[in-house]
Amino acid sequence: MDTLINVAHGFGVALLPINLLYCFIGVFIGTLVGVLPGIGPISAMSLLLPVTLSGTPESGIIMMAGIYYGSMYGGSTTSILVNIPGEAASVVTCIDGHQMAKQGRAGPALGISAFGSFIAGTFALIALMLVAPSLASVAIAFGPAEYFSLMALGLVVLTFLTQGSMAKALLMACIGIVLGLIGLDSITAQPRLTFGRIELIDGIGLVPVVMGLFGVAEVLLNTEQVIKRDIINARITQLLPSKADWKASAGPIGRGTVLGFFLGILPGGGAVISSFASYALEKRLSKTPERFGHGAIEGVAGPESANNAAAGGAFIPLMTLGIPPNVVMALLLGAFVIHGLQPGPLLITQNPGLFWGIVASMYIGNVMLLVLNLPMIGMWVQLLKLPYNILFPLIILFTILGVYCSSNNVFDVYVMIAFGIIGYFMRKLGYEPAPLVLAFVLGPMLENNLRKSLILSQGDLTTFVTRPISAVCLALAVLLLVGPLLPSLRKKRELVALDEGA
Amino acid sequence: MSNDSNVKFRLDNSELWGGLIGLALGGFVIWHGIKLKLGTIHEPGSGFVLFYVGILMSLFAVSIIIASLTEGGPTFGSRWENTRWTKPLLIIACLTAFSFSLDTFGFPLSSIPLMVLLLRLIDPVRWSLTIPIAVLAPLGMWWVLKRLLLIQLPSGIFEIG
Repeated sequence: MDTLINVAHGFGVALLPINLLYCFIGVFIGTLVGVLPGIGPISAMSLLLPVTLSGTPESGIIMMAGIYYGSMYGGSTTSILVNIPGEAASVVTCIDGHQMAKQGRAGPALGISAFGSFIAGTFALIALMLVAPSLASVAIAFGPAEYFSLMALGLVVLTFLTQGSMAKALLMACIGIVLGLIGLDSITAQPRLTFGRIELIDGIGLVPVVMGLFGVAEVLLNTEQVIKRDIINARITQLLPSKADWKASAGPIGRGTVLGFFLGILPGGGAVISSFASYALEKRLSKTPERFGHGAIEGVAGPESANNAAAGGAFIPLMTLGIPPNVVMALLLGAFVIHGLQPGPLLITQNPGLFWGIVASMYIGNVMLLVLNLPMIGMWVQLLKLPYNILFPLIILFTILGVYCSSNNVFDVYVMIAFGIIGYFMRKLGYEPAPLVLAFVLGPMLENNLRKSLILSQGDLTTFVTRPISAVCLALAVLLLVGPLLPSLRKKRELVALDEGA
Repeated sequence: MSNDSNVKFRLDNSELWGGLIGLALGGFVIWHGIKLKLGTIHEPGSGFVLFYVGILMSLFAVSIIIASLTEGGPTFGSRWENTRWTKPLLIIACLTAFSFSLDTFGFPLSSIPLMVLLLRLIDPVRWSLTIPIAVLAPLGMWWVLKRLLLIQLPSGIFEIG
């Protein structure tokens, strides 16, 4: 009953005209960046982070959340019609989605992707409503040791799932922690790694780091190649899937939704991993796996549902524990912090309007996406025809302005350009930026909780293993660190390891 | 990739250099941690976490170096094989020049040439499109930010903008 009252309260907040407008802007921009290759939700959210300052916390965070799940919808359009994933979570949709489009079935592919996304998004929100308050009440009992171990686990999971060498991913995570510690020490107020520069006293901003590593570096990588676009030019008709399509897709949508939701909750997990996992699951369960890769609708329905459910599930660790499970949630944490809010176990009780408002707005956003996206497919296709040699200078211009506006400081533009160049060389040498960014955000929290737990336990290191939740997290982290040394586990890691870029 | 793209004991082994840079960074972080004071386990100091993260960095870097020497690694050349490597270099040069000119000349006077260069140097866009995009996009954004959002962009020594 309490949940229903809270949900009603949330809808009261989300249905305010200003919040509806921000929700619409968010899902529209999200779809746009999802559609356009070369700019993903991470770049768009960091670009718009300063804009959230202009409104109430509810409006800003509703918009940021809208960009995230909007991009999940938009990404599939590019994958199906152009065979280029608009963002990383839609990579797997290219395989069967584009084949369907080539066979003249672009409409059903786009339709099942939108309906599957809507169903998964709805399920994820209902689960979020039910799970988050219970988890938050448990999380109140968490001490610094539990938080430290959970964050350590999150970082290890992400490095485990990052493409390429695990040593490289761990090195990136360590560099991220060091970068996050630049500035004044929160306990002793001693400047660290500032090299006498006054601009570094407050540390390096999240926006220039993310925009550099993901925005500028992505442009540099894209311009190395001649981007060929195989756009489906035929008129798209019959967006509604047939009865047979629904029959084939019902199972994949259901399984993708549940799988995606739980993978989304895991620290270090997210939309990208869940879409690949769903594809692999559907192929394994199929009686005719040979159809996969040649236009099987299950190969579109499952992954698209999974990535949307994961996008909803990822809100749980952020909202209930205050720990971002992935880079996108780290940016959302940035939006909370900008408004002086700290997501965590007390958010639901202290700011019920904000929490339930965001949850309700996500449902409204999902409806908006379904209603808007299907009729607007034609417009997105036209947009895809914009050549990359015109698009990338505009992306660079927007990133420069976005970074400058986040702090009104030219120094941040220099930082972004420097990280863009570093990010380009990192990617060329096989070092993924995702662990660095997550560690950059978690670094100060990780340090704070480690030092606090050592002070509280009077230097007793067993505090991390005598507390059950902390012990379980650390045991899992150790397992994942040691696991890749075993050949069978290494093979499995290589199968699931993903490029979290863009 | 060509046959000699995977090398072990050679200076152009890119994995080796990646590891060496990581090791140097790790060493620097350890040194900085010690400089900031480690404190004790009962009361960790400002350099405590930096010191131990530096040690971890060095360990991971050493493992990358060992792997590069035992398993080999791609050469720098093979990393850029079959790519238009001059294009990102040109963009980097343009962005570096822009970063130097932004404070001195201000946003409009630095961003318009930047846009012209980016539109013309990489995959040349015809002049009839380059000029309007290069002029209208920065000026449009400048107008929106200055007039609508009241954000002051750098105006430089000529105070334009």
